[in-house]
Amino acid sequence: MLKARLYDGSTPVPDQATLILSGPMARLVSRRIDNQYPAGQLRVSPRIGQAERFILFPDGLQLQCPDADMLGRLPQEGATEGLVAWLEQRWWVALTSLTLLISGLLAGYFVGLPLAAEHISANIPIEYERTIGEQSLVWLDENKVFLPSKITPEGRQAIDEGFARLHAGLPLDGHYRLEFRSSPAIGPNALALPGGIVVITDEMIQKADSLGEALAVLAHEIGHVERRHALRSVMQNSVVAVLAATLTSDASSLSLVVAGLPAVLAQTKYSREFESEADEFAFWLLKQNELSPELFASMMERLAEDDRGKARLWSFVSSHPVTAERIARARKAAEN
Amino acid sequence: MNNPSSAHEIAQAATAAAAVPGPPAELVTGKLPLHFTGSAAEYFRIWIVNICLTLFTIGVFSAWAKVRKKRYFYSHTLLDGTPFQYLGQPIPILKGRLIAATLFAMWYTTTHFFTMLLPVVIVAALVLAPWVVVRSAAFTARYSAFRNMRFHFTGSYLSLSKVMYGWAVITLLTLGIGYSWWHQRMKRYMANQASFGDINGEFMATGGQFFKTYMIAGLMIVPGVILVSMLFGIGIAAQDGANKTAMTVGMLIVMYSLYVMLYAYTQARITNLVWNNTRLGPARFNSTIGVRSLLVLYLTNALGILASAGLLIPWATIRTLKYRAEHFSVTSEGSLAEFRGSEDMQVRAVGSEVGELFDFDMSL
Repeated sequence: MLKARLYDGSTPVPDQATLILSGPMARLVSRRIDNQYPAGQLRVSPRIGQAERFILFPDGLQLQCPDADMLGRLPQEGATEGLVAWLEQRWWVALTSLTLLISGLLAGYFVGLPLAAEHISANIPIEYERTIGEQSLVWLDENKVFLPSKITPEGRQAIDEGFARLHAGLPLDGHYRLEFRSSPAIGPNALALPGGIVVITDEMIQKADSLGEALAVLAHEIGHVERRHALRSVMQNSVVAVLAATLTSDASSLSLVVAGLPAVLAQTKYSREFESEADEFAFWLLKQNELSPELFASMMERLAEDDRGKARLWSFVSSHPVTAERIARARKAAEN
Repeated sequence: MNNPSSAHEIAQAATAAAAVPGPPAELVTGKLPLHFTGSAAEYFRIWIVNICLTLFTIGVFSAWAKVRKKRYFYSHTLLDGTPFQYLGQPIPILKGRLIAATLFAMWYTTTHFFTMLLPVVIVAALVLAPWVVVRSAAFTARYSAFRNMRFHFTGSYLSLSKVMYGWAVITLLTLGIGYSWWHQRMKRYMANQASFGDINGEFMATGGQFFKTYMIAGLMIVPGVILVSMLFGIGIAAQDGANKTAMTVGMLIVMYSLYVMLYAYTQARITNLVWNNTRLGPARFNSTIGVRSLLVLYLTNALGILASAGLLIPWATIRTLKYRAEHFSVTSEGSLAEFRGSEDMQVRAVGSEVGELFDFDMSL
């Protein structure tokens, strides 16, 4: 027997009623009604927290009553929700979930996601990236990030030939294209755009003491292309962004924590790893071509002189590994 | 009934029911308090279990998780002793999320890789936007119920587009001043199209009232903007790196505080303005959110979440809802019996809810 509030759906005014369950029949009694229903035709709303629940009757009446075990014997509205509700009520389930969640996230972040991205990218031909790379270059040109290069044709030819020697025989050999641009906006720099397009700035070429130093930088960019970093970073970063947004979705609207912050922090690690990987590839490639990784070290040193102080401040969240470390690794590679 | 004891029970029950006449409920007038009875510990369990299930089903469970969370919030929000009911079903929500994910992926790829297609995508987004707003509002209304009566939203694509874009054009032409009126028309449209028991909402706030709120907010940030520009100037002039860094950090802190202040101010004032000027038949609403207390709430939430690496998100959610409920009430100036429900507005057992083809929900 259950005393409860009854809503008939014609007005939002409650009525007092009593529900009596006996065997296969249910009887609902109030001042106005005295109805009988087969208990199998009743539907109970899912259990949630400590909230009161609703019993729906086949004729549209609705009863609000405190949660009780007795309600479990009546037919439930949603079969699966009962199971979820059962899980939600137990602290050991919550703590297990938390442990699973943390270990799942850590394993995915450190192992699963990088592995999956590497595996998938190896199976996607680099041709698919070409349009994207070309679009990016057009965009950079149109927005004056890049201006036409002022390097003489002879200078270009020497670098072009060196670049061709470097990537000759590599798995993605047929896909490389070297572009020269001047760029006051980004200064001495080199980029590997998707699809094998490598851009080197005039400022970078001028910084280089020798052809070898310029080639050391290009070897690093070839590493990005060969290891498919463009595609892998898009895949890894989008997964991280989606996950971060999912996990913090409840917080974003009510506490002003920047939901992007955890994602950015998580993504910089991947980006640093790609840089290190490209470095290692460059050291190997230089040695293959009878050039010394020392060229990379001296080039980095000269670049670092320009922005000393900056490097220290940003090293923690920087997308590039600390320069001193990279130089030390290059020297070590040169010795071996 | 075939055994004597239950016959006895029934007799008792019938007398009991008759013996609780109370004041005839139809005459209830005055304040109907709103209570939120959720607890952080309980919601933490729901939150973590559902996140875990979502993660290990690669996101598919998120639609079910949303139903559980919404159900928790609705079921623990009591008006005059009766909880609200959330009746949304996971499948339409899943559908909405798939559509949203597709749209987002299209948006992402065009803005990042195919910028030449951007104008086409923007036009498509503008065409789609009113449709998304109307469908989502209709979904939320239809699947919200109180006392066996569902809410309803009657807005249409064309009528919303007129308000949305008509006033957006005016906002652009007046260099943003018209925004207050745009906002007011949008709120009025949403209130007028929402109904409960065949009574539609009324909205009395004027564009001038919105404008006043936004003006004060604008004036509030003037000293902050001056401070930021000063710091920026010093930062540019500073020669050594350390000073430059200090100025940059100072500038960021001032900007963030400004943003938080502005957000709390407009949130509190606009929410109060909207609810205090909305009427639904005999029901009036009173919203008394304070700017300072909301600011403190947001900041403590942010600190708690940061310090706990996100584990206090459920706590922050619950105390925010509690705060909102404590500063909200409904006043009935007539009889609740004025709301007349019809049969198709009644809450039905879920099995029958198949959902229409375009029945989906894209709200968060």
